[in-house]
Amino acid sequence: MSINLLHRHVLEDHISGFETDPNPNHLSIIRRAVIFTVLAHAGQEAAVAEALWNAPDVAPRFCSPSEWLAVSRTVGAETVAGMLSEIAGASVVDQSDGRVLMEISGPSVRKILAKCVAIDLHPEVFEEGHSAAILCCHAEVNVARTGADTFEIIVPRSLAGSVFEELMEMGREHALTRGFVD
Amino acid sequence: MASLITCPHCGTRPKEEFSIRGAAAPKRPSPTAKDEVWHAYVYVRDNPKGRYQEYWHHIAGCRRFLVVERDNLTHEVFGVTDASEFKWAGAAE
Repeated sequence: MSINLLHRHVLEDHISGFETDPNPNHLSIIRRAVIFTVLAHAGQEAAVAEALWNAPDVAPRFCSPSEWLAVSRTVGAETVAGMLSEIAGASVVDQSDGRVLMEISGPSVRKILAKCVAIDLHPEVFEEGHSAAILCCHAEVNVARTGADTFEIIVPRSLAGSVFEELMEMGREHALTRGFVD
Repeated sequence: MASLITCPHCGTRPKEEFSIRGAAAPKRPSPTAKDEVWHAYVYVRDNPKGRYQEYWHHIAGCRRFLVVERDNLTHEVFGVTDASEFKWAGAAE
């Protein structure tokens, strides 16, 4: 679509909204993600970690030596709860309503994230599947690499609004767009 | 201040992720100790210059308590250990 800039008012976007079609750089908000906290009992850390990494349909995210998040976008909360409760020596809590799952992807994703995350995101250091509990936009979040240019960010619910606003602000020079995903 | 702390669980992180919880060297008295001993433990603290052991809480990361050994004059960090694994110099028990 060609835009006649002569007839385009400077406040056009501010009135009618910025681009809504996904650009290459896109921030997706996953509407119904299933997120569980898994806590290992004392002395059971290694066994729980192994069981969690072998569990089907959930992606494990590292929080601390005895705490992980289990994320699923394919199966429901009951299925995940049933599966995780079978892990011996672990306590499991459904956090789906307490956390917000965002996915940021695109060719400039590392440049955008480098403005708010203080870890090296080079693929040789932060490989696919790696995750880190880290400060991002002044909030404690969990960042994970799910693809070459795709990262998942898990934000506490009450901080999601401000993290979202900051991510959009930092992605503005890269024409970051946003939208919901079911 | 030392600006990069290498957390044993999370890797190298900026100091903004941590909360400094004070000197790690003073030993907590027994609950039945005299008031004077507790007063000395809670309020009478040294303010040393140089090498120093401190509790750092990694609040924005793994949320573990760490013992950071650093020089508060040169900002050099000598070591970071999880507080549960830290071996106190001359600790008998």
